[in-house]
Amino acid sequence: MPILQALVNGLVVGTLLAVPAIGFTSMFAVLRFPNFAISGIATLGAFAGYLAYGAGLQMVGSLVVAFAAAAAAGLFFDKTAHLPLVKQGALPAAIASIASGLVLENVIRLGFGNDFRGYDRPIARDMYIGDIRVSPQQLETMAIALAIMLAVFAVLAFTRVGKAMRASADNPELAALKGIRPERVAAMASFIGMGLVGVGGMLLGLDSSIDPLTGARILLSIFAAAVLGGLGSAPGAVLGAFMIGMAEELSVLAVGSPYRTAVGFFAILIMLTLRPRGLLGERAF
Amino acid sequence: MLHYILFIATIGGIYGLLALSLNLIWGSAGMVNLGLAGFFAVGAYASALATTSGGAPILAGWALALIAGGAAGLVVTLSTTRLREDYLAIVTLGFAEFVRLVAANEIWLTRGIDGISGIPGPWKAALGQDFNAVYFLIVIAVVGAVFALMRRIDRSPYGRVLRAIREDAQVAQVAGKPVLHFKAQAFALSAAIAGLAGALYGNFTSYIAPDLFLPLITVYIFLAVAAGGTGSPIGALVGAYLLMTLLESARFVVAVIPAVTAVQRAALKELLIAVTLIVVLRLMPSGLLPERIPPAPRPQTGGTT
Amino acid sequence: MTKLHIGRRTAIASGVAALATPSIVRAQTDPIKIATLTPLTGGGGSYGPVMAKVAASVVEEVNKAGGVLGRRVVLVSEDDQTSPEPGVRAARKLIDVDKVVAICGTWASSVTTAVAPLCWESKTFLCTVSGADSITLLPHQGYLVRTQPNSTLQVTRVGEFMLSLGDKKVFTMIPQTPFTQSTIDILNKVLPAGNATHGSLIYDDKKTSFRTEVDQALRATPDVILANGYTPDTVVLLKDLYRAGFKGKILGFAYSINQKLVDQIGQPEVVEGVYTFAPSPAEGSGAYDRVKAAVGSSNPDPYTCQVYDHVNMVLMSIAVAKTATGEAIKDNIRKVTQGGGKSVDNAVDGIKEIAAGGKVDYSGASGPCDFDAKGDILDCKFRYEQIKAGKFTLVKLA
Repeated sequence: MPILQALVNGLVVGTLLAVPAIGFTSMFAVLRFPNFAISGIATLGAFAGYLAYGAGLQMVGSLVVAFAAAAAAGLFFDKTAHLPLVKQGALPAAIASIASGLVLENVIRLGFGNDFRGYDRPIARDMYIGDIRVSPQQLETMAIALAIMLAVFAVLAFTRVGKAMRASADNPELAALKGIRPERVAAMASFIGMGLVGVGGMLLGLDSSIDPLTGARILLSIFAAAVLGGLGSAPGAVLGAFMIGMAEELSVLAVGSPYRTAVGFFAILIMLTLRPRGLLGERAF
Repeated sequence: MLHYILFIATIGGIYGLLALSLNLIWGSAGMVNLGLAGFFAVGAYASALATTSGGAPILAGWALALIAGGAAGLVVTLSTTRLREDYLAIVTLGFAEFVRLVAANEIWLTRGIDGISGIPGPWKAALGQDFNAVYFLIVIAVVGAVFALMRRIDRSPYGRVLRAIREDAQVAQVAGKPVLHFKAQAFALSAAIAGLAGALYGNFTSYIAPDLFLPLITVYIFLAVAAGGTGSPIGALVGAYLLMTLLESARFVVAVIPAVTAVQRAALKELLIAVTLIVVLRLMPSGLLPERIPPAPRPQTGGTT
Repeated sequence: MTKLHIGRRTAIASGVAALATPSIVRAQTDPIKIATLTPLTGGGGSYGPVMAKVAASVVEEVNKAGGVLGRRVVLVSEDDQTSPEPGVRAARKLIDVDKVVAICGTWASSVTTAVAPLCWESKTFLCTVSGADSITLLPHQGYLVRTQPNSTLQVTRVGEFMLSLGDKKVFTMIPQTPFTQSTIDILNKVLPAGNATHGSLIYDDKKTSFRTEVDQALRATPDVILANGYTPDTVVLLKDLYRAGFKGKILGFAYSINQKLVDQIGQPEVVEGVYTFAPSPAEGSGAYDRVKAAVGSSNPDPYTCQVYDHVNMVLMSIAVAKTATGEAIKDNIRKVTQGGGKSVDNAVDGIKEIAAGGKVDYSGASGPCDFDAKGDILDCKFRYEQIKAGKFTLVKLA
């Protein structure tokens, strides 16, 4: 029974992790570099949502604010700092994105200090389904995350923007020939991807607390989830997030919590050795 | 003031070694090692344990650090031979995290988060206040030796093969170069240098702890190499010293800003550092001293670019 | 000096003016410089800022009252980034460039252990709040005191307190810190001696949920859980314990379970009945009230109280020694903290008394501040509080 409970807990964590992981992996698919500014962007989303929530906006309104703030900042940093460097290779852009993450972290620190803040959300006792303990709030957060994911997949599958992004991810040259303007697609990818990262930061902050390091704490888990699923694959990122979430909770039972990040990385090493292109392969969208 | 400058210059030299290490595999061979801090830690712990609990002489500690770093490098490359090469970045990142967790949790071996204090420095008691100056010279000598080696490699046929692998591994393979062998060698050498840097750090400051080896050090070294110019050993070295100058001078810049709280000043300092690095990368995308590929001895068979 | 001009123009701006003056002249007229080195960024970032703030408030009070030895006091606050490498660089700058005579408030044990050798080698005095037992065992030649009771003393008292509450099954939840192992070892000794059992679990404080950890702990059906983390992870832990329906007692250290935590959780029933524990001054200490006023909180954390004491002790030691050097502080700090004299709780009163030729015995915001030869505090009262309807209420001082 402890194992089943740990798996359920992992599922909850994984669902929350999946949202920013989709954002990260979609940006990678189109922009072809790992954008580590997500640490700062997730924190920004969490703070923007926090301010909106505190100002009386309801959950949905706050999520929209978190998305918008993160998306705008993400687009700004991509345009000014990262994309001009992609020509030099993925790595210079990735390095610049780490610096961008630090910029955001410290801008937030400048404005808000290091104090911890929490969303003023009632904390309720858990309910039991059989022997399994679940938190009604976490169920609610999970439902929100699932709804967002559905919306993202719908956008990718059915809208012109989504189709353009997918086409451009699969084959940028061909997409350009077909009249899809690469800089537009890149901008859309930054906007949507970082928006999702911001929403993810807020969702993860709802249950814990937020401070300038909120995003930095979850950076490795998001990255691990995206890699595990195959960088560039949105469904892969979801699957990867569930697996990382469950692996981390199970590791508490197996090797003790201090080694949880190591467990994630070993999972990746094994997975990549067996399936070199990740769980669902790259660019499957 | 002089002590401070010597101290910072010594730490800068150790950062310089890390930058040379990174430049060898990233700049020359195009392999991405996000686990530099891990190899730095392996060397630091090897030398610290050998020279404290083990009672070994400091030179032996440094030799051990070289070997331990190199061995760790070999294990990491060999465990990734089946992987696509861009996944090396992730595996090395995981390796560094793993090393830090072991250092923090395996108290019987590493003394845990407490860290290892009282690591001896060469002739420290006898030198007294002059220790910083002497140690600075030692570090400069080591950096000089490693730099000379890197220059040699850079200009040798070996270096050209590494660059060929960076540009196109398949072509290099077809040209009859044992790519895997070359890569493993370069990676182990680079990891050994990072290990030596760790040992130099521990024997200098007399204390190491898991908190020292956070990923931020790796980030700093990447920034240093990128700012200095990837693929050029002198660029890596200059980049490391520029970075150190930036990290330290930022303190003095924000000190003159009036009427902010201590935490705001700290945030401004970090902000200043990060923004400067982005600006440097943007203005000089190939770094301050970009790679100049030396011509091969017989130009007609060249084509390394 | 020549080296300085080569690449460090920024350094020149702030440092050179002072350095250019001959040192003999400087000693008489220049301000006395002391420093705080606290975590302003990184993992300890929620503690360091208020520590720097309270130190500044002491310096301001003393300057208003005419300074020390007729000289102004200047406080330099640096950031250790909660990591020994930047911590060491910052300390080197404080010692060599600012030429401070004392550094106060190092927080993380790793930073303190890294910075301590620099301090004793350069004869700079170091006051710390780090708890790891190993720190006062360093060969510091007297250049270090710590106001935080070492973990052996604290944890033993915590264990005894839990026994006095009649608890038979104790479970400790603790992240990996320098005192994790010793905490578990000590409780494994103290609790069975009082016929109680003890279980423990080490968790990763960067996680965003501790549901599985809480399940593990509850499987031991404990009467009391010792939540031994820092504020950020303890917030999550307490919420998850509440959600899991834990009905037993919870005990934590006041450095983590403080007013900030209560405000942040925002729902009194989650923390209702939680016990907290802190080293404490004697009842009615004026120092504690002044710390409250200086930082604007009804429940200042123990670290803030301790840094307040650091600065007061250092400045009074300088007044007694009549010279502002680290060595003078080392030789005189125990003359102002123990051994009889007029009882004072702040440096302004103390310096006045010293100037009038009297002796002082300082008792501060964190306790009596009496040190043994190693620099550990000799004895200390502890303050036990319980949260009732969102307010900290005193259980006992003992």
